[in-house]
Amino acid sequence: MRTHELQPLLATADPVDWKRLRAVDLGATEADLLADLEGVPSGLREPAPRPWRSRPRRLTFALAVAALASAVVAFLFATGREGGHPSRAYGAELVRFAESTPLLLLDEPWRVQSVYEAGEGAYMPRSSRGEGSMEFVTGPAIPYESTTISADGTVRGMAPKAVRQRKVELRWHPGKLGFPGPIVHRPVEAPVLDATALVNTRAETAYIVTRTEKKRIESGGPGDRQMAAIWHEGGYTLELRAWVPNLAGFKERLDWLSRVDSETWLDAMPAKVVKSTEHDAAVREMLKGIPVPSGFRPSQIPDEGLTTNRYQVGASVAGIVSCLWFRQWGKARRAHDRAAEEEAERAMASSKRWPILHEMAKDGAYPETVWKLAAEMPSGYREYAGHRWRLLPQAEALGCARWGLPVLPRKQQLQRERRNQ
Amino acid sequence: MTPTQIETGELGRELAEARFSQLYRDQGRAILAYALRRVEDPEDAADVVAETFLVVWRRLGEVPIGSGARPWLYAVARGVIANLHRTERRKTRLGQRLAQSLRTELATHRAPSGETAEVLRAMSALNEDDRELLLLVSWEGLTPSEAARVIGSSSLATRSRLHRARRRLRALLEERQAASSQGGSNPEFDMEEAR
Repeated sequence: MRTHELQPLLATADPVDWKRLRAVDLGATEADLLADLEGVPSGLREPAPRPWRSRPRRLTFALAVAALASAVVAFLFATGREGGHPSRAYGAELVRFAESTPLLLLDEPWRVQSVYEAGEGAYMPRSSRGEGSMEFVTGPAIPYESTTISADGTVRGMAPKAVRQRKVELRWHPGKLGFPGPIVHRPVEAPVLDATALVNTRAETAYIVTRTEKKRIESGGPGDRQMAAIWHEGGYTLELRAWVPNLAGFKERLDWLSRVDSETWLDAMPAKVVKSTEHDAAVREMLKGIPVPSGFRPSQIPDEGLTTNRYQVGASVAGIVSCLWFRQWGKARRAHDRAAEEEAERAMASSKRWPILHEMAKDGAYPETVWKLAAEMPSGYREYAGHRWRLLPQAEALGCARWGLPVLPRKQQLQRERRNQ
Repeated sequence: MTPTQIETGELGRELAEARFSQLYRDQGRAILAYALRRVEDPEDAADVVAETFLVVWRRLGEVPIGSGARPWLYAVARGVIANLHRTERRKTRLGQRLAQSLRTELATHRAPSGETAEVLRAMSALNEDDRELLLLVSWEGLTPSEAARVIGSSSLATRSRLHRARRRLRALLEERQAASSQGGSNPEFDMEEAR
């Protein structure tokens, strides 16, 4: 029997017969009730102390701002919260934000480590709008894992088995995506919530495809497999992915999943967030040690109103400055302005020393992307998987278009057209 | 209009009555159902409703506006039921009228049998707090965070407690199913056992 199969059983065991209860005329008893209260003072004058304590105002404010954001909404926290906040009512904007997710949580001992949600921004690819992911962990926070696979198939940078088995990732995508049948290894079916998921029991298997060969990479082993369940529910395609000792362990994680109301979901958000009011000061501090192109203004770094940590603000700062340098670089190359081209290359070469990128490198791969792109500016190409790619389109990966700073002339033109419409 | 006028004058009484009547119309039946599920005698359930709304009237200023009112009322009703046999029973008109109405409309509870009896029996083996939590969510239709307010706990702690309660109940039901498939079962069930 599945945990979620209990609900209908419990419902049938309800001793109250609602059909008969509805026949009781409560309206007729209202006058008696008011007569009972004759001479009894009402408590309307009393103040309204809540039977539960208030949630810290800081989080409420930060989350409210997040709900308004139109671009990428992400919560990334160094540490989670213990014990949970007491409940309180949230504002409508917050509730709308929560309800734009599938409202799923893994029950304790799992806690939310991070939440990411793609918004509806104009530059967000249509296919990505509304999709998001959450990370759940047990025990201490698990830092970002930057894994690399070398040409010989060696995998480096993975967290130890005991650590990675403490993490579960849940992703959602609005709509019904097809099951990736052909690439699912040893698929099995498993119950999850009110649906049946298709489980890839060897999701850790990856391939390196070059012009000459296709190499299979196995980063797991007996007692340490990555599994991924995919299912459709509530208008979403959902995927739960985790490193587990075996299929039973994976099914157990699926069983921890429960559907919650928006308030419970918001209560589960980690409390450690950067105050939105500190945004400008944080930007000024992060710009230290970064060469900026002429005409740059700190106000170009948007306060996207997100509940951010320093990583996200840092990505805006380093990303926008990098995008401006890449725009200058592209324009200079087209105009054969060697001086301007070299100035941009020198500025980007200094990115290896930008303090904010070093700070961010502990939590994500954005700095690495900046450094790789900067290192390839002199050649003008990026090489990987046996191919040479023109560098400028690759620089769009920094998110330039999202900030209204597309580096490709065609995108710039489209953006101008859109603005003028 | 000053707050003093609202609080003390005739208008204040009218406003209080309007708010109170709205609460009774919106939630009265749910509180009655809650009470009927937890007390043996429907007349006791009528008294629970009457007493609960007397408390509501006295503490009207504390009742949260909007969706928060529902769990607040359940918390009051829960307290009233806990004190049902400890306090002297008031004779209220509402209690008497409602009891009379219940005698007519609800002669008895449905007699549980078969699978229903099995579920109730398994529930009676849970500890009282876990059972209350399960019932608040399953029978009263409260969300976990609303149930958390009723029992005075945090929503996260409640959610994991709910998860454990469901697991425990599931295990109990599976044990009973295994036992009955081996050596027969007892279809009779005493409702009082589940309360």
